[in-house]
Amino acid sequence: MEVQPNSPVNCDNLPQIDTVDLVPVDLNYRKMRLMSWGMAQGVLLILILSPVLASLLGWIEYPSIRFWWIPLCFQALVAGIWFLEEWKGFARRGYAIRERDVTYQTGWMVRNTTTIPYVMIQHSELSQGPVSRWLGINHIKLFTAGGSGNLRIAGIQEDRAQELRAIIEARAGKA
Amino acid sequence: MMDFSDPRRQHPLGMAILAVQFMVNLSRAAWPALIPFVFSAKLDRSALVWVALGVGTLVALALAGAVAHYWRFQYRLEDSALVVTKGVFQRERLQIPLEKIQAIHLFQGPIQQVFGLTGLRVDTAGSSGNELQLVAVSKAEASALQGLLAGRFNADPSHAEEEEEAEQSASNTGYAGQPLVDLNASQLFKVGLTQNHLRNAFVGLALFASVGNPLEEVIRTALDTIPPAALLVLSALSVLLFVPGLLLFLLSGVFISLAVTLFKYFRFRSALGKEGVQIEMGLLRRNVFQVPFSKIHLTTWQSRWASRLMGFETLQIRQAQASDQPGAAMRVFVPAMGSKNRKVVEQILYSDLAEPPHFQLRPVRRLRWLIWLASWVPSLLLLGARSNLATGVAIVLWLCFTGYTSIRRYRSLKLRVHKDTVVIHKGWFWQKRHLIKMSQLQGIQWRRHLLLERRGVGHLTFHTAAGPKAFTYLKKDEALALRDFALNQLHVARHKKHLLETQKGRGQVVAE
Repeated sequence: MEVQPNSPVNCDNLPQIDTVDLVPVDLNYRKMRLMSWGMAQGVLLILILSPVLASLLGWIEYPSIRFWWIPLCFQALVAGIWFLEEWKGFARRGYAIRERDVTYQTGWMVRNTTTIPYVMIQHSELSQGPVSRWLGINHIKLFTAGGSGNLRIAGIQEDRAQELRAIIEARAGKA
Repeated sequence: MMDFSDPRRQHPLGMAILAVQFMVNLSRAAWPALIPFVFSAKLDRSALVWVALGVGTLVALALAGAVAHYWRFQYRLEDSALVVTKGVFQRERLQIPLEKIQAIHLFQGPIQQVFGLTGLRVDTAGSSGNELQLVAVSKAEASALQGLLAGRFNADPSHAEEEEEAEQSASNTGYAGQPLVDLNASQLFKVGLTQNHLRNAFVGLALFASVGNPLEEVIRTALDTIPPAALLVLSALSVLLFVPGLLLFLLSGVFISLAVTLFKYFRFRSALGKEGVQIEMGLLRRNVFQVPFSKIHLTTWQSRWASRLMGFETLQIRQAQASDQPGAAMRVFVPAMGSKNRKVVEQILYSDLAEPPHFQLRPVRRLRWLIWLASWVPSLLLLGARSNLATGVAIVLWLCFTGYTSIRRYRSLKLRVHKDTVVIHKGWFWQKRHLIKMSQLQGIQWRRHLLLERRGVGHLTFHTAAGPKAFTYLKKDEALALRDFALNQLHVARHKKHLLETQKGRGQVVAE
């Protein structure tokens, strides 16, 4: 029986992901995220204020009208935290392409850094909704076996996304 | 050697099996409609006629469906794919590329066992609906097909060196080789004794509650006949019945465990071959699993207190899961693994475990407090609800107990990283050890929230094709070093495999 060569691994000298500079995603993506933030806040505001308004106009009886500001304060708090997450989180959002793997980082309050080796990517998908088409951005989804490692890199400029996908597709499934 | 290149049908007896399957499915679908019949109690002649008519149609439908399904279902083996045409009203052509096949399982239900037939299931990775099931093929045909498929989907060049080595020992071929665990009656009994009785007792209770509902009526009428004075005495006595009741409850759990174990693990046979592991088990439905080593994505060794007393663990072998159903990973259990068997399996699957680990990590010490703090919640709630001496004593006892268990739990959390393998230890009473090969990692995730980031702590998640496994509350510098190491080992292993493949490809070109 031939003994396998057992070359030592130097743990101090490995390439580190942390030292790689992240490429930020497109600024238009922040616009898109803030738009969805604004829309959600608008809908919530309407939901909170419509009974108050209706009772002021005398359409319905709203007994606890004196406390109308409580849900509003609560909403303001949630909106503020969410905005902070979007604003600060966007600055931290970014991806890094290395020779053999791709890394994507998101979040300010809950921070995630996910790395996927190209060799494990089964297929990739470019997606674009109407808003992202208008803003000229694309999302790339990378699928791996089992599905738990799937990665979605959101908000990349259209031509950049095409390039990125070409790189990933060219290397997917290859060592 | 059988020829599978022409389209072929299943064994004609498959029609009978399909008919039974269809009948079961139809009656399951139609069973809400049957409820009024059951409860309308008064069954006069005309109702009986209707019932007979209904059952007759059901049987006729099932038979017709089975014949049509049987006739239209054909399969054949092409160069690199298994091709299936099926469907009665809507024709369907399934093409399963051989390299996508994860495993081939044989199964024998009662009907198949009587007629000496076998069912065959082909599991694929990725798409869930893409699996193939043959309900009736002759045993010779099944084993020929299994051999053909197994031989092709295992054409994995990374095993090239091992193959040469294994060829020297001729007895050790394919899947049937060195026996691993074979359960005899007493071992089966032991395995039954080490199951989770409490859970089984609750399952039994739930089953009893759902099936035994009509009994309520009987009990109520029986109680109505008892005079009120005797009822009073009885209700006073019912307090005394608590202990025997509890005993009965637990005993029923043990009984259910034993019965389930008997049905599941009856005549359990397992063997290690050169390509994979073969496992055979079951009483009414006999299953034969063949899992190639290269398709094992995660193994978990689990043991309870009772099974450790008897000196064995249960091995759980997991393969890739369909991407749209988390937790649907194919899993096979091998019970009663002694330490000797464990060494044999680990030597084959994870040969690097023999060497000292590169990393040995534990969660930050703060986690002990976090685990303990979680147990404060119920005691604080209790204190809020009622505060007297008794509750005070109970809470102190509870906190002492959970303090002890927290420390034990914290000590059990270990992450060892060898040259190619990540080993995650969890639990002290219910111990679990997950083993993941770094060359099979689908991705690594470093996750933390704002407060943890400040303290330089976070969680590391290893994504495998069989689902994610996380190790939480690691120090940042240690975790990131580990992440870089794991990715590096993955790339090295994959690159080696790639080189072997190209070498093999060149060799073939030269040979031609």
